[in-house]
Amino acid sequence: MVGSNDRSKFRLTVRYIVATALLLVMVFPYLYMVLSSFAAWNQVDRKLIPTSYTLKSYIWLFTGGESGVPRPWLHAFFNSVFVSLASTLLMMVFGVMVSYALAKVKFRGRSFVNNVILFQMFFPAIILLVPNFLVIQKVGLYDTYWAMIIPKAVSLWAIFMYTNFFKAIPTAFIEAAKLDGATDLQILYKIMVPMSKSITTVIFLFLLMERWTELLWDMIVVRSDGMLTLNVLLSQMFGPYGAYPGPMYAASVLLTLPIVIIFLIYSKKFKEGMQFSLK
Amino acid sequence: MGTKNNNGLGWLFTSPYLVFAVVFFVVPLAWSLYLAFTNWDLISPDYQNVGVANFIKALGSPAVRAAFFVTFKFMVVFVPLVTVMSLVVAVLIQGLPRFKSFYMVGFFLPYLSSGVVASLIGKGFLSYSSPINVFLREQFGLKINWLGSPFSALMVVSVIIAWKFIGYYGLILTSGLESIGKEVYEAAAIDGVTETKRFWTITLPLLYPAIYTTLILSVGVTFGIFTEVYQLTGGGPNFATNTWQMEIFNQAFKNLQAGYASAVAIIASVVTFISIYIIRKLLEMWGKRNGWV
Repeated sequence: MVGSNDRSKFRLTVRYIVATALLLVMVFPYLYMVLSSFAAWNQVDRKLIPTSYTLKSYIWLFTGGESGVPRPWLHAFFNSVFVSLASTLLMMVFGVMVSYALAKVKFRGRSFVNNVILFQMFFPAIILLVPNFLVIQKVGLYDTYWAMIIPKAVSLWAIFMYTNFFKAIPTAFIEAAKLDGATDLQILYKIMVPMSKSITTVIFLFLLMERWTELLWDMIVVRSDGMLTLNVLLSQMFGPYGAYPGPMYAASVLLTLPIVIIFLIYSKKFKEGMQFSLK
Repeated sequence: MGTKNNNGLGWLFTSPYLVFAVVFFVVPLAWSLYLAFTNWDLISPDYQNVGVANFIKALGSPAVRAAFFVTFKFMVVFVPLVTVMSLVVAVLIQGLPRFKSFYMVGFFLPYLSSGVVASLIGKGFLSYSSPINVFLREQFGLKINWLGSPFSALMVVSVIIAWKFIGYYGLILTSGLESIGKEVYEAAAIDGVTETKRFWTITLPLLYPAIYTTLILSVGVTFGIFTEVYQLTGGGPNFATNTWQMEIFNQAFKNLQAGYASAVAIIASVVTFISIYIIRKLLEMWGKRNGWV
């Protein structure tokens, strides 16, 4: 039996080595991005692992380099934070509200609302790009924060996830609370939401990630420099003729780092929630 | 009390969605169906009804025809790539007795990336004097214009998108693998079934629901490709990466042909809906025929 034990030990070691190697390959683009953002400019995209380092790329980002006119990177960063948080929070609040009604409130027309949501979920959203832009323009929201927040204030996916989760919470809890005189709003925020912490983490992170990295919509509904999100500014500054690879990597770090940090903070809860939501 | 209807509360709590659905779904839908039959240019106050002219023009346009085929080309490259790689990731980390969550979190990190950032890194990595190109030139005399030739541009974009999704799908497949009981494998081991055979006869069939999920998700991804293509190729070279979103964006917001773009969008939606429906049915049939469902 000792031989077979050795063999499985060997196998496990190989498995760890292969997994680690693959993981390194997968996170290498991130490493490359960080290293390149600190690399001396004559080494950016010239060396896989740069040998000399500088803060020049970051300084350029905030001073504008030789032109002396800094692009609004910090401003764009705060635009991104504001827009992403506002729109994600609205998606969460509305998601919880709508789902509570769909899962736990009996009302005439419930199955109708359910069917409309399902229909919209399976409807190819591609058709809505142009007319949604026109709606925003028509109501006078073009080039405002609202243009980036309101059309992304409701998430069908969040409603779908919460509805399924709420359905699994026993109605007895709600009835007991009602006997104690709790209102529906209290039940929602004191029972339903606290009971769905892990799935809330998953929904919040997925919505935030998606919102943070949105390009197309934020690009078409906003025009002035001071309104652009970081993702859009990055895309515009380093398009086909971008000549400053160092600052490009620095700006990429600026965009990537916050979302990675938030994810790592919540990663444990995220894992629990994922295990639940995938079952 | 539990069976009493509460109509006011129900409608009140669902009203955010209902208002949203009217403003950003029903009205836009009707609007684009109307616009598709006009020649509106997004700016001028007056425009004419042009009947089905936009649709006829779209069906004859090389860019639209390219969008139709490009989506399926992406599917043929991207879907198998992301499926196989996420299976590899899932099988690798599923059996790890320690540090499993470390690997899970690590593999998931690319999913957090912005398509813009991923594209810029990819572009820098493949730029003319980048280490990989210098190596290929000096060692093999290979001069590859990665984004300049149709085939490699398609491959580069596919790999960049796959990079993002491998860890996420790997996570879905891992939890699929975990739901398979150990007893099944133990029984098979006693019966002397080899490991390779076990994968094909036990793992894969029991994993079918999870694989079905990732396949449907990844097919959906191919119909929505925009950011990477916009950032890297603009749909080129010669429409080789011109996706539906790219084409609609170009027509509506670059050429300012709102009417024509709406017609293209309607065609795109119909193609998307039918394709996904057929792919779903085929996958279900495939599962049923093998007795996996």
